[in-house]
Amino acid sequence: MKDLMIDAQCVSKRFDGQQVLDEVSLAVPRGEVVGLLGSNGSGKTTMIRLLNGVINRDGGAMRVGGHDPQTDGTPIRAMSGILTEGAGLYHELSGRDNLDFFAKLYGVADRAPIGQLLDQFELTAHQHKPVGQYSTGMKKRLGLAKALLHEPQLLFLDEPTNGLDPEGIQMVIQYLRDLNRERGTTILLCSHVLHQLESICHRYVFLEQGKLLASGTQQELETAYMQHVVLRVETGLDIGEAAGSEGAIAAYAGHPVRQIEPGVLEFRLPSKNAISPLLQAILAESWVHAADITNRSLEALYFEIRSSGGERHV
Amino acid sequence: MSKRRWNREIVWAIAQKDIRAITRSKQIWIGMIALPLAFCLVLPLILVLVMRNLDVASWSADTVTFAEDLIGGLPAGDLQSFLLALPSLQHQMLYMAVNYLITPLFLLIPVITAGLIAANSFVGEKERRTLESLLFAPLEIRDLFLGKILATFLPTMVITYGGFLLYAVVVNALAYPMFGQLIVPTWDWAVLMLWLIPSVVLVTILLNVLISARVKGFQEAQQLGGVIVLPVVALMVGQLSGALLLSATLIGIIGGVLFLISFLLLRTITKRNQRHVLFEKQVH
Repeated sequence: MKDLMIDAQCVSKRFDGQQVLDEVSLAVPRGEVVGLLGSNGSGKTTMIRLLNGVINRDGGAMRVGGHDPQTDGTPIRAMSGILTEGAGLYHELSGRDNLDFFAKLYGVADRAPIGQLLDQFELTAHQHKPVGQYSTGMKKRLGLAKALLHEPQLLFLDEPTNGLDPEGIQMVIQYLRDLNRERGTTILLCSHVLHQLESICHRYVFLEQGKLLASGTQQELETAYMQHVVLRVETGLDIGEAAGSEGAIAAYAGHPVRQIEPGVLEFRLPSKNAISPLLQAILAESWVHAADITNRSLEALYFEIRSSGGERHV
Repeated sequence: MSKRRWNREIVWAIAQKDIRAITRSKQIWIGMIALPLAFCLVLPLILVLVMRNLDVASWSADTVTFAEDLIGGLPAGDLQSFLLALPSLQHQMLYMAVNYLITPLFLLIPVITAGLIAANSFVGEKERRTLESLLFAPLEIRDLFLGKILATFLPTMVITYGGFLLYAVVVNALAYPMFGQLIVPTWDWAVLMLWLIPSVVLVTILLNVLISARVKGFQEAQQLGGVIVLPVVALMVGQLSGALLLSATLIGIIGGVLFLISFLLLRTITKRNQRHVLFEKQVH
């Protein structure tokens, strides 16, 4: 394993008699973007709080950048930036005053990055307005600017795209991708909007009711959890009248197939290795305009892992 | 908690941010200004005008005896000889009223102002969900508390001193025709303003912080914090009934005790409110 920025082993946390995290282990290599995924209440936010040393764990061990958050949290907080779900901004102060204040807390002497970040997140025109008058998306972008003020080595982002419009989501994801690529910033990102993460995360950690369900790269998870491949093919192939009606299941080249709509067939294959022979067989009879694996999205993977109970560790 | 010295930049940043928030909140402003205006403008105006027009000649013998006993009963010294040298009982009564009987009221101004700001400052962070941002930042909890204390202390002192300046101007302007000299302030005022009031403000803030870190909302914090007013009211009743005259020495002793209490309270607050305790109790 590469040099780890975050190394958490068997971490447990209870609140008011309720087990919020149950022996969860988490490894984030330096310079990688890791998605911490799970439904609401799965323990994602608690994990971020523990890693920052703002709450104490009940069991297990943790190191963040070489420090134990529980006993030596200040250096972790100094090298990390965080965007919490509520953004934690002062509504009576302007956007610039908020950034000025947090710059002082994080010991940023040079104020030039404030202007650059306001510019980057398209907030320059609104910098002197009280944050209370900002839209949800603007607050989120300002919260992100706040997290980036001191050029952190490590970023914790809790639902960073909540409340953003599609353009805002695109802007934020692109910015984070560039940040990781250009500065090598390690990012731990919590979200339940899975499709937004596919283009940015190197690996994933799935939590479910405080327990670790699975973790690994998308490829590792696919290999371990995907039992079959669903291939959608746009083709002129005629699979016979019996299966010609939409939805009815037939077989072609030994694989179950059904017609989704005229000219579109969906095959269920045992593995990716079956794709080429299938396409060759179809091409011998008809044309093929497109072929897509439809169950390899992160979302499909997530549901597959959940339904299998996550026993197969990678 | 680390033993290093406090971080001046962070403490000052928190104080500045809070003071800016106070100056932008009408609700807090009105509460802060109303009381000093009543005590420092309206009250002395009425008091001096009424006393200037008193017809001492029509007083009953008992009233005159009571007033004379009050002055005669003062400890022999500069104050007593100064009062006895004044031309009439009316002069003596007015001088006593504006310089001694009214002093406890000047404790109410800082106590109420500090309570209002302190409750808002701490519980406000929680209600606006910004405490989370502060606890995630690389600051020591001690610096956070110091910043908050400063953010209440400075505006309270400005309001109190500003109020006293207004009071002195009103009293002197109205009483000058009678006395031909300035009668406020005396040296006792200096001890009160520079020693007792800062100590009272500190204790008020720290008690409020102690309460705020435990309660759920702003109103609850204010109600509990309001209890601090009670000793001041008791002091005022004592002063008005003549049972207790705050001499400079007594003011000095009370101030010293209050500073000691402040120090102990600050230690308790920082010990009891470590980051994780504050986070688990206040952030949801």
